[in-house]
Amino acid sequence: MATLNELLENFHDIACSPKKQLNAYLEQGKKVVACVPVYTPEELIHSMGLVPMGAWGADIELKESKRYFPAFICSIMQSILELGIRGEYKGISAIVIPSLCDSLKCLGQNWKYAVKDIPFIPMTYPQNRKPESGKEFTKASYERVIRDLEAATGEKFSEASLAKSNEIYNEHNAAMRKLAEVLEQHPSITAVQRRDIFKSAHFMRKEEHTALVSQLIEALSQVEEKESKIKVITTGILADSDGLLKIFDEHGLQIAADDVAHESRQYRTDVNLELESLEGLADKFSRMDHCSVLYDPEKKRAGYIVDLAKKYKAKGVVVLLTKFCDPEEFDYVMVKKACAEAGIPIIQIEVDRQMVNYEQAGTMMEAFIDML
Amino acid sequence: MFTLGVDIGSTTSKAVILKDGQEILATSLIKAGTGTDGPGRAIEAVLAEGNLRPEEIASVYATGYGRKLLKNADGEMSELSCHARGVHHLLPEVRTIIDIGGQDAKVLSLGTDGRMTEFLMNDKCAAGTGRFLDVMAGILQLRIEDLEKQAALSKQIVKISSTCTVFAESEVISQLANGVEIPDLVAGICQSVASRVAALAKRVGVKETVCMSGGVAKNGGVRKAMEQELGLNITYSPMAQLMGALGAALYAYDKS
Repeated sequence: MATLNELLENFHDIACSPKKQLNAYLEQGKKVVACVPVYTPEELIHSMGLVPMGAWGADIELKESKRYFPAFICSIMQSILELGIRGEYKGISAIVIPSLCDSLKCLGQNWKYAVKDIPFIPMTYPQNRKPESGKEFTKASYERVIRDLEAATGEKFSEASLAKSNEIYNEHNAAMRKLAEVLEQHPSITAVQRRDIFKSAHFMRKEEHTALVSQLIEALSQVEEKESKIKVITTGILADSDGLLKIFDEHGLQIAADDVAHESRQYRTDVNLELESLEGLADKFSRMDHCSVLYDPEKKRAGYIVDLAKKYKAKGVVVLLTKFCDPEEFDYVMVKKACAEAGIPIIQIEVDRQMVNYEQAGTMMEAFIDML
Repeated sequence: MFTLGVDIGSTTSKAVILKDGQEILATSLIKAGTGTDGPGRAIEAVLAEGNLRPEEIASVYATGYGRKLLKNADGEMSELSCHARGVHHLLPEVRTIIDIGGQDAKVLSLGTDGRMTEFLMNDKCAAGTGRFLDVMAGILQLRIEDLEKQAALSKQIVKISSTCTVFAESEVISQLANGVEIPDLVAGICQSVASRVAALAKRVGVKETVCMSGGVAKNGGVRKAMEQELGLNITYSPMAQLMGALGAALYAYDKS
């Protein structure tokens, strides 16, 4: 049984070395498919014996991608293209890019021209995903992804395999939800370590990650917690940068829970295993909520964040707003208003994949703590 | 008891000595900011003005961009908290502070007890900061302190439409080439800063009384333009640039 520190180091190594993970899977003879944010039907990819690996970009200088994108566009997406052009995804069989925001649509179109050796598979979601027609649309899009995956990899799809993968993903979702609850009880786990655990999930087969997370939960149950920190909720697309997360740790802040797309938003909704497997996957998407890129005329996400803060007795909400992310910017107004009405302090910190200096973010966080 | 607050900004260093947490005994301002000998000189100057020796200071607090670099400080606070504290000490009726410094602008909303309830900072952009004025003064071959006088002579403001400082520089050069009057151009430059920061203020929500702090607040041209942008009077204190250091001295008093 690994110790807590060994497990945390393992998560860190995996989170910080996606290329190593990719090469290890390739050496095992496995085929890998890149999954671009925010939601990709990983279960489909997994069910075909392929390894889905998250492609959420990296904190790098953007050069080549600027040939394809204007300056004022999401840097997560720009850095995905940059990595593709630089050959960092070499060996990957295909990349699935969903159509969940306008910028992602541009990424898909640019990918075809900029990275010709890795096939682009579009995943087109309906705006109205809840009605039966929406579910049928989603299912039809999944069928198109299956056809493209079969063409790109030579692997075959079966409903029975998908049913098994749906189970594995449900188990992983449950493990991640439990992990989030357990971490809330352990303020000694730093924001960077918390990020490592969530980030590593994107670079591992989910059954492997579930096993590691279960070990971590067990190891944490042996820890007598002595530390106490100021609890906050994070919300946004991504909370990845060391420089940003160290601000939380340096100022005694604990991320008690998150509404981050790269983290907990991925694990809120399970597939209904009673349904036929592909139908069940489409049904899952129809039930996903509380996310800036999932159309919701009632914008329940704002209330969700307030409830999250109340549930965990968080002192404030930290909005990590990805620069130039229109969906998140639209939601911010409602989130801010809901927090103000609930008397919950809120701060917005703009982040992007090219930030190297977090001095101003640190100053803002210090001032925010003074306000709490 | 004497406490010292040192505000190490991007372009200037300011220091304030406070007696018993109330009376401003001495102040200093050196035009050299973080990473220079400015902070040391500001401390030397304020001690000399107060006729005090370093050992007579009970507590020292640092604020501003360079706050983490001040050796022998007893503590540090963000410039946002210090500006709020300093302004509330001198102008307790103020509910909105517009602080324009050398390289950023901040808008702070204060509660009746002086506590900061909300704030916004502009970052990553020189437009709407002291740096913008420095660049423009350089092109016009004016001293920064002359901008106010020039703006007052304006008969017809020339609008600067570019958001970006670099593009605005080209725009100003083009206007000069077109033969526009320098006072009209300076008034346009002041209005440009005011309109950008006023937009930031409106995002926070402007509650009266509004005051300006920071180095740019000394420029009457920008203050006047800000009043026009917001449609209200702006309260101003000659201590505007020293509010951060004053706030730090107050925090030092709390902790001593």
